[in-house]
Amino acid sequence: MSGFDIFAIVLVLLVIVTLVAGVKTVPQGYDWTIERFGKYTQTLSPGLNLIVPYFDRVGRKINMMEQVIDIPEQEVITKDNATVTVDGVAFYQVFDAAKASYEVANLNQAITVLTMTNIRSVMGSMDLDQVLSHRDEINERLLRVVDAAVSPWGVKVNRIEIKDIVPPADLVEAMGRQMKAERVKRADILAAEGQRQSEILRAEGAKQGQILQAEGRREAAFRDAEARERLAEAEAKATQAVSEAISKGDVAALNYFIADKYIKAFGQFAEAPNQKIIMLPVEATSMLGSLAGIGEIAKATFGESAASAAAARRPGSVPPTGGTPPAVPPRQG
Amino acid sequence: MTNMFASLGTWNWLIFGFILMALEVLAPGVFLFWLGLAALLVGLISFAVAVSWQIQLVMFAVFAVATVPLWRRLARPKPDASTSPFLNKRTEALLGREFTLEKPIIDGSGTVRIGDTVWRVAGPDTPAGTRVKVVQVDGANLTVAAA
Repeated sequence: MSGFDIFAIVLVLLVIVTLVAGVKTVPQGYDWTIERFGKYTQTLSPGLNLIVPYFDRVGRKINMMEQVIDIPEQEVITKDNATVTVDGVAFYQVFDAAKASYEVANLNQAITVLTMTNIRSVMGSMDLDQVLSHRDEINERLLRVVDAAVSPWGVKVNRIEIKDIVPPADLVEAMGRQMKAERVKRADILAAEGQRQSEILRAEGAKQGQILQAEGRREAAFRDAEARERLAEAEAKATQAVSEAISKGDVAALNYFIADKYIKAFGQFAEAPNQKIIMLPVEATSMLGSLAGIGEIAKATFGESAASAAAARRPGSVPPTGGTPPAVPPRQG
Repeated sequence: MTNMFASLGTWNWLIFGFILMALEVLAPGVFLFWLGLAALLVGLISFAVAVSWQIQLVMFAVFAVATVPLWRRLARPKPDASTSPFLNKRTEALLGREFTLEKPIIDGSGTVRIGDTVWRVAGPDTPAGTRVKVVQVDGANLTVAAA
C-alpha cells in the first residue's frame, strides 16, 4: 500500500464523517439547539440544515408539539379540613426551544411540581363542596398561575384539568346519606303538598257545588215569585174582564158558568178510579138558584117550549150541590 | 472478499451507491442518499474513463462534497412549500389577528382569550374589552397594539 492509497481511503472517511457531522435533518415537530464549543448559538428548525462540523454540535432536541403531563395523585386539605386525593393533567407546548433547553433544568419536572403546589394552594382556599362543584374555576385559576410561572421558560401551558377528586370513603358515605336524606325529605314534602292540594280542591268543589245549589234555589224563588205575580195579574185581568162583562151584561150568564163548572167538577169526582163515598150537603137554594139561572137563559134563548122541556127533566137528573165551586184555583207557594 | 470486490471492478461503485440510497430509507436524515449519488457518479465515470481506484476514491470524496450545494437548493424553503406552513408555529398563525382584551394591559402585560386558553400579551397599557391586534410574536410572547 502506497501513501497515496492510504491518503485516498482516509480522505474518503474524513469526507463522510464531516458530511454526516455537518448535515442535520431535523424532523417536523422538533427544534434542535446548536452549541458552538458548548455555547448556544442557534436553533435548527425542521428540514435539512447545515452546521459547521467539529465546532458546532447538536445540544438539545426539543419537542415542539403539545405534550401532556400526568400530574400525580396527591392529598390536598380543603378549607374545611377535608382531605381529598387529587390528580390531573397538564397540556403544554414549547415555543422557544432555546429557553426551554437552557432556562430550566428539567422542564417536565418543573411544570409538574409547579402544578402540584398550585393545586394545593387553590384547593386549600375552597370548601369541599366548592372543590367538588367548581372544577372549571379551579382549572382556570391553575392555568393562569402556572402559565405565568412557566413563561420565562419559553413554554405555554394551554390547559390544566383536574381529573379525579376522591374524598375519603367515610366522607363519601356521609355524602351519600345526606343525599338520600335530601331526596326522602323532598319526597315527603311532595306527598304532603299533594295531600294539601287535593284537600283544597275537594273543599273548593264542595263550596262551588253549594253556591251553585243556592243560586239555583234563588233563581227558582225569583221565578216562582214572578209566576205568582203573573198569575195575580192574569186573575186581576180576568176578574176585571168578568166584572166588565157582568156590568155590561146579565148576571144570569155568570150563573150559567158557575153551574157548568160545578157539574164538570162533580163529573170528575165520579170518574176518579178510587172507591169513594161522596157526601154532599144539600143546599137546595143555591142549586135551585143556579138552575133557575139556567132556566132563565133557556127561556131567553129558546122560548117557552124548551124551558118547559127542561123543567120536566129536572127532578133527579142533576145532583144536588153544596156551595159554589171556587172560580179560580187556590194560590200556590 | 477482496478478490470479489476486485473482480467486480467499477460495478462496486454502482452497487455501493444503490445500497447507500436504500439505506437512506431505513435511516433517514443521515446524508446517505447523497453519498449514494456520488458513488453512482464515480461508477459512471469509471465506466467511461479507466481510472485507478485511488483516484476513484478521491473523486467520490469530491462529489460527496459537491452534492452539498445541490441539496441546499432543494431544502431552501419556498413560501408555498408546505401545505400547513404554521405547523408547530402556533403563534405565527396569530400574527395580524384581532382579539378582545380579557384583562387590561397594566405595566405591559395583560391577557387575551384565544380558543379555549388564555394568552398573556404585551403592549401599551390598554383597558379591558379593547380590540387589539397581534403585531409581533416571539416564542410564546405576543405583542399587541390597539386595533
